[in-house]
Amino acid sequence: MDKMANLGKGERHMNKTIWTCGSVLAMSIVLIGIPGCSKKSVQTGGDSQSTQGAAKGGADSSKSGVGSFPDTGVQPGSGGLRGLDKNPSEERLGSAAQGKMDSSSNAGRQMEEIRAEQAASAAAGLRDVFFGYDSWVISEEGRQSLSHDAEWMKSNPNALIKVEGHCDERGTVAYNFVLGEKRAKAARNYLVELGVAANRLSVVSYGKERPSCNEHAESCYQQNRRGRILIKSGK
Amino acid sequence: MTQVKLIGAWFGGLLLTAAAVGTLESGAADVFLEATRPDFQKISLGVAEILNTGGSDWLAGRIEEVLKHDVRRSLVFELVDLPGLGIQMPDVRNGKGAGSKAVFKQVAEKGVSVLVWGTASWKAAGDQSEVNVEGFVYDSGSDEVVGGKRYAGSPSVVRQMAHRFADELVFRYTGEPGIARTKIAYVAQQGTARELFVMDYDGYDTRQLTADGFLNLMPQWSPDRRFLIFTAYRNRNTQDIDMIELATGKRWTVISFGGLNITPALSPDGIFLAFASSYEGNSEIYRLDTRTKAIQRLTVNPSGDLSPSWSPNGRELVFVSDRGGGPQLFLMSSDGSNVRRLTFEGDYNAAPVWSPRGNWIAYVCRTHREYKLCIISPDGQKRTQLTTGPGVDDSPSWSPDGRHLAFSSTADGKSHIYMIDADGKDRERLTFQGTHNSAPSWSPAW
Repeated sequence: MDKMANLGKGERHMNKTIWTCGSVLAMSIVLIGIPGCSKKSVQTGGDSQSTQGAAKGGADSSKSGVGSFPDTGVQPGSGGLRGLDKNPSEERLGSAAQGKMDSSSNAGRQMEEIRAEQAASAAAGLRDVFFGYDSWVISEEGRQSLSHDAEWMKSNPNALIKVEGHCDERGTVAYNFVLGEKRAKAARNYLVELGVAANRLSVVSYGKERPSCNEHAESCYQQNRRGRILIKSGK
Repeated sequence: MTQVKLIGAWFGGLLLTAAAVGTLESGAADVFLEATRPDFQKISLGVAEILNTGGSDWLAGRIEEVLKHDVRRSLVFELVDLPGLGIQMPDVRNGKGAGSKAVFKQVAEKGVSVLVWGTASWKAAGDQSEVNVEGFVYDSGSDEVVGGKRYAGSPSVVRQMAHRFADELVFRYTGEPGIARTKIAYVAQQGTARELFVMDYDGYDTRQLTADGFLNLMPQWSPDRRFLIFTAYRNRNTQDIDMIELATGKRWTVISFGGLNITPALSPDGIFLAFASSYEGNSEIYRLDTRTKAIQRLTVNPSGDLSPSWSPNGRELVFVSDRGGGPQLFLMSSDGSNVRRLTFEGDYNAAPVWSPRGNWIAYVCRTHREYKLCIISPDGQKRTQLTTGPGVDDSPSWSPDGRHLAFSSTADGKSHIYMIDADGKDRERLTFQGTHNSAPSWSPAW
C-alpha cells in the first residue's frame, strides 16, 4: 500500500523514483507549484551542507524538498543529575547557551506584502467567500461572489490568483489547517468550474493563525471562516 | 502490546540515565512503578526556611519559594507545613538552621518522611555577583542526613539551582529525573506575527527564539532537547517544516513539499520524522527516515490525515483522520499497517498526544461546541474528560513524567498556556503577557 518515494542519494530504491503528478492530483499540482510536481529523487539530502546553508539557500533545499537533519537521539548522561552527596562538592551552574535571535531582514516584509495584495484585490473589486461552522460548502452567496470574481479573472487573463483558507478560533490549531485547505480548494474548484484556468489558481491554508478579528462572538467567527481571493504578487 | 511493556521500555531509558550517574538504589524500580499508580501515597516532605548566610534575604526566600513549588508540582512529595505541624525551628540566624538533632527528632515524631533545609549567600564582586546555595536532606526513615548539594553561579541561575535541587530530590526517591528543569516551547503573538518562545516549565525565564515577523507555529521538541521542529511559511504562499537549534538560534528548512506541511513529530529515538503533508493532494501522514531521506506514505485515503504522535516505544502512531466525517483518533503501526479507529464518542476528537508512560492518549474532545481535554487508554476501554467550562482548550502536551499536561485555553478570554495534573486537578496558569499564547510543547526531561 505504501508508495516509496526515495529522496535520498544513492539509495537502492533510486529506480523506484516516482512522479507524483497523477491525474487525480492534477488539480493539486497547480496549487503547490512546479516543485511539488517534480521528481522527488533529485538533489542530495543535504547531509553535507551546513544547516545554515539549508536555511539561506532556499533554491537548493526546495528542489529535493528535504533538508538536513541532525542526530537528535538522546545522548546518555547529558545534563544528568549527580545525586545527593554526604560531602557535596560544588556544582557550578552556567546560563544555558542562547543563540542570537534570528531577526532577519524578512521581519515585517511578509505582512507588508500581504497588505499590498489585499489592497490590490480590493481595488479590483474581488470578493471573498464565507463559510458555515465546520463547513467548506460554498453557499449560494459564495457562488455569487465567486461568479463575480471569475468574470474579473477572465477579463484579466494575466493575473495570478491565490485563494487563502481561514478558520474561526474554535477547534484545534492543527485540524483548522486541514479545514482551511478544504475551504480554499472548494473555492478554487468552483472558480475552475466557472472557467478560470486551473494553472492561474493557487491555494494556501492559514488555519486559524491569521484571524481578521479576535472577538469571541459569532459575528467575528463569521468573518474568519473565509476563503480570501487575492491577486498574487511574487512567487 | 501491553502497558507493562511500554512502561518497561520507558524505564529502560531511566536505568541508562541512572547508571550513568551511578546512584540508582535497589528497589527504585518498584518505587517508580508505584509512583505511576493513582493511589500512590506521596512522600511527606517539609522544606525548612533557607538560611541566609550573607548578602540577601531575597535570595534565600526565592530559593525556598521555587523549591517548594517544584516539590509540590513533582506530585511525588506531599509538601507539609512544618510550623503548622508544631515543629519548632531553632533561630535560623545561628548555626546551621534546621539541620539539628532537635529538629530531626520532631520531624520523625510528626511522621514527616523527609526534611530539607539549606543556606544561601550572595557575594557582590564588582560586576559579577556570586551566589552560593547549599541544600541538605534528612530522611526520618533511616534517621540520617542522606546527603546534600552545593551550587555556585551568577544570580541569573538562582531559579535553576532550586530546580536542580528539586530534581535531585525526585531522583533520590523515585529514580526519575524530575521535571523541574524541563521547559515548555510555545507560540506567542507579536503584532500580527506569531513567534516561537521557550520558558521554564513553571512559566518563568521566557526567551524568544524566532523573530521573522510572520508565522511560526506548533513547535515540537527533538528527543535530545536541542532542537524544535515546527511549521512556518517561507513566504506568504508556501508552508514548510523548519528546525531551530536552541543553543545557536540556527534555523533551516527540513520539509518543503508544497501544500500543507504540518504537525511534525520526531520518533522517540530521533530517527524518523512523522508529519502531515498535502503535497500529493489531500493531507496524508508520511514517515521520513532522517538518515537515508527515504520517505514512506503511511495513510492512503481521500480524507484529511494529520497530527501523528508516537507511542513511547516508537512502534505505533496515534493520529487524526476525518475519513468518517468529523475528525477522530486512529491508531496504526509505525509502517502504516493495522489501522483502527480509537474514538467513537462525539463528532470532533483531535490533537492526540501519547503519554510518555504509554498508558494514556490526551486529546481535544468537543462537547456542546466546547473544546475540552480528554484522555483515553490506547485500548479504548477507559476515557475521561479532564477539563470543563467555557473556552477552547487545545494542544495538550505531556510532561515527561506523565503526571501533568500543558495546554492552551481561552477560558480567561485571551489564549494562554496552562498546566494541569493528569487527573484534571490543580489547573495552573503559566503565561500572563501578551494577547495570544498557544501550542505549548513540553520538553523531554533533562
